[in-house]
Order: sequence, then structure tokens, then C-alpha cells
Amino acid sequence: MRILVLVVNRMVWFIPTLLGLLAIVFFISHVIPADPAAFAAGENASAATIAEMRQRLGLDQPMHIQFLRYVMSIFTGDMGNSIYTGRPVVEDLLSRLPATLELTLVTVVVSTLVGVPLGVIAALRRNSWVDHALRLITIAGLAIASFWFAILLQLLFSMRLGWTPLTGRVEGWGPEPITGFYLIDSLINQDMTTLVDALHHLVLPVATLAVPAAATIVRFTRAGVLNALESSYVLYETAMGYPRWQIVWKYVLRNALIGTVTQIGLIFGILLAGAVVVEAVFDWPGLGMFAVNSILNSDYNAVMGFTLIAGTMFIVVNLLVDILQGLIDPRETR
Amino acid sequence: MWRVLRKLAEDRASMLGLCMILLVVLAAILAPILATHPGDVNQFHTAIRLSPPNAENWLGTDRMGSDIYSRLLFGARITLTIAVVAILVAVLIGVPIGLIAGYYEGLGSDILMRGSDVFLAVPQIVLAIAIAQTLGPSIENVILALSVTYWPFWARLVYAETRSCKNETFVEAAIALGCSPWRVMVLHILPSISSSIIVRTTIGMGGTILTAATLGFLGLGPPPPTPEWGRTIAESREFLPMAWWYAAFPGLAILVVVMGFNLLGDGLRDVLDPRLRRAARGR
Repeated sequence: MRILVLVVNRMVWFIPTLLGLLAIVFFISHVIPADPAAFAAGENASAATIAEMRQRLGLDQPMHIQFLRYVMSIFTGDMGNSIYTGRPVVEDLLSRLPATLELTLVTVVVSTLVGVPLGVIAALRRNSWVDHALRLITIAGLAIASFWFAILLQLLFSMRLGWTPLTGRVEGWGPEPITGFYLIDSLINQDMTTLVDALHHLVLPVATLAVPAAATIVRFTRAGVLNALESSYVLYETAMGYPRWQIVWKYVLRNALIGTVTQIGLIFGILLAGAVVVEAVFDWPGLGMFAVNSILNSDYNAVMGFTLIAGTMFIVVNLLVDILQGLIDPRETR
Repeated sequence: MWRVLRKLAEDRASMLGLCMILLVVLAAILAPILATHPGDVNQFHTAIRLSPPNAENWLGTDRMGSDIYSRLLFGARITLTIAVVAILVAVLIGVPIGLIAGYYEGLGSDILMRGSDVFLAVPQIVLAIAIAQTLGPSIENVILALSVTYWPFWARLVYAETRSCKNETFVEAAIALGCSPWRVMVLHILPSISSSIIVRTTIGMGGTILTAATLGFLGLGPPPPTPEWGRTIAESREFLPMAWWYAAFPGLAILVVVMGFNLLGDGLRDVLDPRLRRAARGR
């Protein structure tokens, strides 16, 4: 029951935030352009086409009616058609979603496996050379332009050494699509060659994305562990003569990692943003590459559709993390 | 003030950061003097296109035969201009909104803050892409896109700090003495929360430069022949793996300036932020 109250409490702001996101995208797409009809009709449209477009899009109506119509159309899953592919933007986006999710989820796993232990080490060896080196490396990791890092990795590992594939998710066609996640699909089909090939293709994109993500995790884990080490219960346990490894392992980590879990929402945002350019560099057929191609083709509906779906995903993940945090932390459900 | 500067000077990481920033700032200011081929922002010499680093072109040449070193120096001007102006606008929008929403309580404050939360709910680069795409590629539009995307960070910060500051005795005393709300906000609250704003602004510079470079890479930045770093890296991709210098040096420049701001921001936070001073005690 308390859990239900917690979930409802967190959900209260979900709909207003979503409406706010719609308002921002509406403002960008309908208010900023001097003549949205001309914009939607394309660059070489005649005056008659533009006038027809204006009426068809309802742009002759007052602003609040336009916004209502816009919200209604989005909630019925209509984001317009892509000018480039000619298909509904929603279909294009949904067909590319699994590729991006596979990339980001693998990255979250990898960066957690790398970041948490390093963060703990940095905290336990505070002010040692390890700590200082990690501080510099993580700051550099957050300062590196991911598109540049991706290109450097390609240059070294794909072009010079030939160890990794240059682009794409697999050689040739992917496995029989069931979930759209190649790793899962090839496991279901028991197709080990495709599985290995898909993993091989994941190495460089994941490495690129994991750098800023792991750097963030290291910094938060370090801060969390340091905070826990300074708490009075650690002082008490130390005074009681508990061995240090037991204090760290049983008490400090458990409390410090709650904070790290809540960072997943933030990290997911970094990854989603990073995916835009990383997918473009590695020709990874996900949402990010779709967005970049849409930008290059001036495919307006598609760019706005991407903004909406990326924003919504970000809001949903943050909501889930919020609820999860409430469930982990007993103070929240008391 | 002096205590802060002295503590900052003792922190080697912050000083390294400051040096990196100064390096890029000097490069930007002295670009016409330091550049070996100042005309190469617009001129090209196709005969020597894509030559590797040599005595004449220190960092090699690009697809037009222009000197990459000289273009990098002028690129620093563009990057710093975009970042400084965008951050300035973001601060000028965000700080007053945060102050007012934090000082007054009521529906208006809630709406302002929820509004800024919505902006924070979307990844910055995604929002900046949408705005820059709508407005078209130019320096002004990149600046506009970045300031619209980044102001809520300052609004949020100043709002929270103002709220906690309002209950302090010195603010209550100022109100009791009959100071106008405007006077309390600007002369009493603002100075006491300025250190958090400085820290946030320093770290924000790094993030803004990265986002600006990303917009440039995606073709949403200032149009060619502007020597913008992100765009230069995008141009270089056709000529890899041969012309490695074409991609390597602009990215290195981005890394240096962003890392400089992040290092300095980190150091400043340790010195200035009272809440974190406890955690930094062992340093």
C-alpha cells in the first residue's frame, strides 16, 4: 500500500512534465519558424502548395487550438510522415528503437562493471597516486568529444589494425527479428556466429559511449563511499574492532551504492545524447543515426519526432529510477 | 578572497586547468599574430591539400590546402565566443528567475520552477539539435539554442540556494530593517550565493563547448568556411585513415579547453562550496 502511494506520488508530475515537453517541441516547431507551412512544404514549394499545407496542418487556426490538435495527434501516435522515407515518423522511430536500446543497455552494464570498482578503489585509497590518476582520467573522460573519440578508435582499431569492424551492427543481414535486439535474437535462434559477430560490432561503439558514463559512475561512487566512510556508524564499527574489509564490504558499499543506482537515470541521459553522434559515426541503425540523417535531409517531422521520443524516454527512465530509489531506501516508504 | 585564491593556487589540478584555459584564450586573442597563415581561414591552396605536418604547415593542411594550425587558432575565437555569450545569456535568464522564484513563495514560483524542470527533463543536446535545426546553421543560432537549453541549470541552483538563504538571520535582519525585496535579493542574497554560481558557470563552460562542438559536427554550427572545430572533424572523415592530423588536432583542442574548465570548476568547488568542504578536508 505504501509502495502504491509512493508510485502515485512520483507519477503526479509525470503527465505535466510530458505536456511541458510537448509544449516546448510545439513551440520550436510551430512558433519559432516564421512560416511553418513553408517549412513543412519543403524548400522548393510553390505558393499554392504552401497555402494548401497551411490549411491541411490547421495553421490558420488560433494558437491554442493548434496546440490542442497537436497534443491530440501525438497521443494518437501521429507525428506526421517523414519527408525522406515517406513513412510515418512513429514507425521509423519504433523500428530503430531496439538498436539504440541494445547499445545503451550494454554500455550501462559495461560502465557499471568498470566504474563501481574503480570508484571504490579511488575512495579507499584517497589521495594516493591511484586516486589522483583516476581524477585526471575521469575529468578527461568527461571532457572528450565522443564523436572525436569514436573516430580515433575507428582510425586505430578498424582502419590501421583491422581488429574490429568499421561500422554497422552485424555483417550482412541481422538475425531473424523477434525482439530487434540482435544479442537476444541470435541467442533465441541459437546462432552463435551472429552472436559473436554482433558482440564484435558492439566493442567500439560501447567503448566510446562507456567513457563518459564510466567516468560519471567512478566520481559518484567515490563521493558516495567517502561520505559513508565519514559517517558515525563506520566510526562506531571501527571502534568496535570490526575488520576494515568487513566494514567496507558489508556496510559502506551497501549504503554508498544506493546513490550510484540513482545515477543511472542521469547516465541514461548522457548515453541517449551520446548515441546521437556515436551512432552516426558507426553507422549504427538506431535512433541517433536516424536523427542525424534527418538533420542532413532537413527532415523536419523526423527531427521533432526524435526530440519527443528521446525526451519521453528520458522522463520515463527518471521516473523509474525515482520509484526504484524509493523502494531501495526504507526511509522513503516508512 | 585571498584565502580562496591561495588555496586554489595550491591545488595542482586547478592550476593545470587554468593553464589550459589560458592557453586557449591566448590562442584566440593572439590568433592573427600566432597564425603562420592568417589568410587561410578563407584562402585555399589545392596544390598542397592534405599534406601531413611539416615545417611549412605545422599541423598539416586540410582538404582545401589551408593550414590547420592557423585555422585552429581562429577556431578558438569561435568556440570561446559561442560558449561565453551563450553562458552569459543563460546566466542572465536563469539567475533572476531563480532569485525571484526562490524569494517569493506561491503558484508563480512553482510554475517557473516546474517550467525549468521540463527543460532539464530533456537531454541538452537533443533540445539544442531541435532548436538549431529549426533556426538554421549560424553562430547566432547556436548561441540561442545553447542559452535556451542551459538557463534552467542556473535557475534551479539559484532557486535552491535562495530558498535556504531566506531563513538566514542576515536576510531576516535586512527585511526587518525595511529593505525592499529587490535590495534584499540583489545586495544580500546574491553575494552570498555567488560562489555556487561561479562554480556552476565554470563547469557549465565545459559542457557548453562540448555541445557547441557536437552541433558543429552535425552540420548545425556556423557554416563553412568558418574554422569551427566540430565541423573540421566532420569534414576530415572522408580522408581517413590517410589524413589522421586533419581529425586529431581539432579534437585535441576541444579536449584541452573542456578539460581546463572541468579541472578549474572541480578545484573551485572544493575551495568555495561550504557543503563540500567537509568531504574535501583530507585533501
